[in-house]
Amino acid sequence: MNELLPPILAALVISIMGGALSIFVVLKRLAFIGQGISHAAFGGVGIALVLGVHGATTMGAIGQLGIVTVFSILAALWIAALTRTHKGRADTAIGVVLSASMALGFVLFTFAESGHSHDEHGHAPAAHQDEHHLIEEILFGNILNTDWSKASIAIGVAIALLGIVWFIRRRLIFWAFDEPVVDAFGLNSKRITNLFLAILAIAIIMAMQIAGVVLAAAMLVLPGAAALNLSAKLKPVFIYSILIAVGGAALGMFIGFEGSFPIGPTIVLTQSAMYLATLVTKFALGRQ
Amino acid sequence: MPSPTTPAVEINHVSYTYPASGVGTSPMPAIDDVHFTIDQHTKLGILGPNGGGKSTLIKLILGIIKPALGTVRIFGQTPVQARQSGLIGYLPQRIEAECDWPISVEQVVGLGRASHTKPWKRLTSGDHDAINRAIKLVEIQDFANRPIGALSGGELQRVMIARAIAGNPKLLVLDEPTVGVDITGQQRFGQLIDTLYKELDLTVIVVSHDMRAIAAVADRVACLSRTLHFHAAPDGLTPAVLAQVFAHDVAGVFGDIHIDAHLAEGCDDPDHAHQHQHDCGCNDHQAKEGGS
Repeated sequence: MNELLPPILAALVISIMGGALSIFVVLKRLAFIGQGISHAAFGGVGIALVLGVHGATTMGAIGQLGIVTVFSILAALWIAALTRTHKGRADTAIGVVLSASMALGFVLFTFAESGHSHDEHGHAPAAHQDEHHLIEEILFGNILNTDWSKASIAIGVAIALLGIVWFIRRRLIFWAFDEPVVDAFGLNSKRITNLFLAILAIAIIMAMQIAGVVLAAAMLVLPGAAALNLSAKLKPVFIYSILIAVGGAALGMFIGFEGSFPIGPTIVLTQSAMYLATLVTKFALGRQ
Repeated sequence: MPSPTTPAVEINHVSYTYPASGVGTSPMPAIDDVHFTIDQHTKLGILGPNGGGKSTLIKLILGIIKPALGTVRIFGQTPVQARQSGLIGYLPQRIEAECDWPISVEQVVGLGRASHTKPWKRLTSGDHDAINRAIKLVEIQDFANRPIGALSGGELQRVMIARAIAGNPKLLVLDEPTVGVDITGQQRFGQLIDTLYKELDLTVIVVSHDMRAIAAVADRVACLSRTLHFHAAPDGLTPAVLAQVFAHDVAGVFGDIHIDAHLAEGCDDPDHAHQHQHDCGCNDHQAKEGGS
């Protein structure tokens, strides 16, 4: 049971962070940017692998995390820059970044694997893992890989991001509510956009430990989307979102462990079910 | 605080050209050698056709873009300094508030305190006093606690005016404030701005392509069509000047606020009217939530 403690704790803290950030993601319509960022991370994993940095050792895991984080932040800022030149239309930017990064990731992944198999002296553990299994882990997450060192990083980073968001909450709310005018009110919209996208990129990398490249962004969308069905007031929305995020993660882990389902996807499914429940609640209350 | 004799706005021989926007396009000068000053505690209307450089002039005054030539000073400061110290209040043309935004009227007005508050600090009693005063001045106290999505377009505009004055600005910039609003609505808007002008000792700039919108608010008028054509009291504005500004035959007499169909036809941009008629289509639902 003890080896389950780090992944469970990490998942719960990452969920709290996802709950708080997802309000901004939904209100600012960044859900697809989130998808773009998380898929870009796959390219980052590929680069780390080619550089010989992989997650089999603690130092390797930290190195990989660093490379992937830098790569994802750059992708996020690139999406933001492309969005600005396309006058606010993010879809093309995301389409370009998402597919290019996925393609890069797969090419580098295969390249790294073939390189290792021809290396007679190399005993890199990752090279001997089933390649498909490894890709599957990166795509859909494997929370059971989380040991205390990985969990501490995830928890520390999640708390730091929560702190930053709390610190600048009023500016983020103004920016999310009415970005075109924030400059006229003495703030710097470009700086706020870049800061939030960097926060989002780091948060998605953390969520990837649970849900992988494909599903991580969902943890930064679903709780907020669900909470916004339940209230039109700022504080309750944040509280509901965090409760839904943590509740969904706890319930998802329980169902996953009991039924031997993959944990990340089960958490995302549970949060999706909660979103559907709030949608039904909203319409039921709205029609009274 | 600036001395009472410092002009509120000084535009010194300012030109601005947008870079070419794509392949096959050439740079277009938006504003060419515009030169004028606005004294403190006046209400100036800037009238001009669409594409005449009005938005560019607003961006220059707000310091969002820098002039290619010339200088802009707001109460003797650069526009960036002026907005960062909260001297400028701004009412945008497009008022965007989505129905599902979980934010109350009072919270939106509070956003207008941004330049006065450190982001991490709680709002002080001084902030709350300023917010409450703004709410009372524009008479939105009856729905101050409602979610923003529950409001009509007119109510929403008053909330945005309150947000613009919550930071105690000395200069209020109104960007096409009454497009698509009927004459009674425009006059009510003008009265509200006049109250704020007197109560808060404001300098007001109203920018529009619609003479009625200008007449409802301003006591002086300037005509802008890439260059500044005219700068005087509104009753001195003759059809000949208007024809020059709008490159269009006009027969309207500004002093009587008599609007000629030709002018309206020549300047009204149907898109603007649609943008301004804010109706997010979920008011009934939101009103219910807000009332509960």
